[in-house]
Parts: sequence; structure tokens; C-alpha cells
Amino acid sequence: MLFFRSEEKVQEWCRAQGIPVRPLVRLEQLWGLATAWYATRLQPDSRRPQPAEIREIFARLGLEGDFWDPQADRFGQG
Amino acid sequence: MDLDLDVKLAIYHHFAETARRPSPEEIAGRVQVDVPAVLDAYQRLRAQRVLVLEEGGASIRMAPPFSGVPTQHVAEVAGKRYFANCAWDVFGVVAALQEPGTVHSRCEQTGEPLRLAVSLGGPEPSDWLFHCAVPAAHWWDDIVFT
Repeated sequence: MLFFRSEEKVQEWCRAQGIPVRPLVRLEQLWGLATAWYATRLQPDSRRPQPAEIREIFARLGLEGDFWDPQADRFGQG
Repeated sequence: MDLDLDVKLAIYHHFAETARRPSPEEIAGRVQVDVPAVLDAYQRLRAQRVLVLEEGGASIRMAPPFSGVPTQHVAEVAGKRYFANCAWDVFGVVAALQEPGTVHSRCEQTGEPLRLAVSLGGPEPSDWLFHCAVPAAHWWDDIVFT
């Protein structure tokens, strides 16, 4: 889970690593992920999101498709 | 509260207060139990994917979003520098601490430094991107690689 300066740099890095380019995430979307996972992490009632909640969080942020499905079996580690 | 929750909270508050991982002895002192009880709790928290432990089980590699070891992803908050496990988690440190900060990282392809102000409303405008090589269903197959 890494930062890149541009889509072109993602493509160069993936080509060098021999892995496919995955869906790109804008930083405001990443902030949405960070707050959904961690905003309550220091509180006693904090817990990790469950698969159905994870799907809702991703969908709310516009991250949809099998890549983001926490229980999809169509992707290998590729 | 049960012991596992006490240990979990003690770990997270130690990271928040000191910006470094706690030793089992420090957690034992905070929770007022002996070290073997802390190490047993570590194993249960590892099984729940709350912690990632170093080999041997006594040292914390990850208590997401915090990293127990130095990384390229650093959140600077209230004068402290926190190591995070990845690009997602470095934003997560700011979110967890509920204080604005500055995120430092780099472009993985070029090494160009990233320095980004992050308020509790989100990061300053930026056209940098986040990329995850591993599909969500496989993140915990090897969380250190992910």
C-alpha cells in the first residue's frame, strides 16, 4: 500500500515489479478509508469492520468491483 | 473490561503517548498483570488480527495503524513522529490520534518525497495517488507484504 506521484509512475512501478496495475485511489478517498478504519482505534469500543461493513465503506467511497471485495475469490496475489 | 481489551488499549495508548512500541513489561505495568499474562493476550490479539508480532511473540511489529519498526511512512503529530505500516496507515495515525499532522512518505517509483498537511477534515489538495497491489480478499494472507 504505497504512494505514487502520478498514474504514469504507478504503471512504471507495476511493470518493473511484473504485477498488474490495480485500481487507483485518490487521497481524499484514502482519507475516507483511514477514518473508517482508525478514527475510533484508541477507544474501548473500537473494532475492525466486518466484511459487510467493509463493502459499504468501499462503495461509499466509490471503490467497487471484485478487487475491493473482502471475500472475493477471483483474484490471486498477482 | 476483560484482559485482552485492557492489553489492547494499553498498547494503543502507549503508541499514542510515546510514538514507539511498548515492551511486554511496560504493558504488564500498565495493566497490573504479569508478563506471561500479557504474552498470552498478545497471542489472542494476534489471532484476532489486532496485532502482528515479531518472531518469538514478545515484540509488536504492527498495531495498525502504528508500526513497531521504522518505515518510510511517518506521521508528525503534536511534535512526535509516528511510524506507520503503509500509505493507508499513515493517514490512519492522524485519524486515530484525532489531531492534525503532517504526513511524510515518498513516491515508490521515483523516491520523490511526499510532505502533506492532514487536518481532521482530510489531506490538503494533492494529485498524488494510492495504489495497493494486493486484492482486499488477500490482504491478511501476508499483511507485512500488503
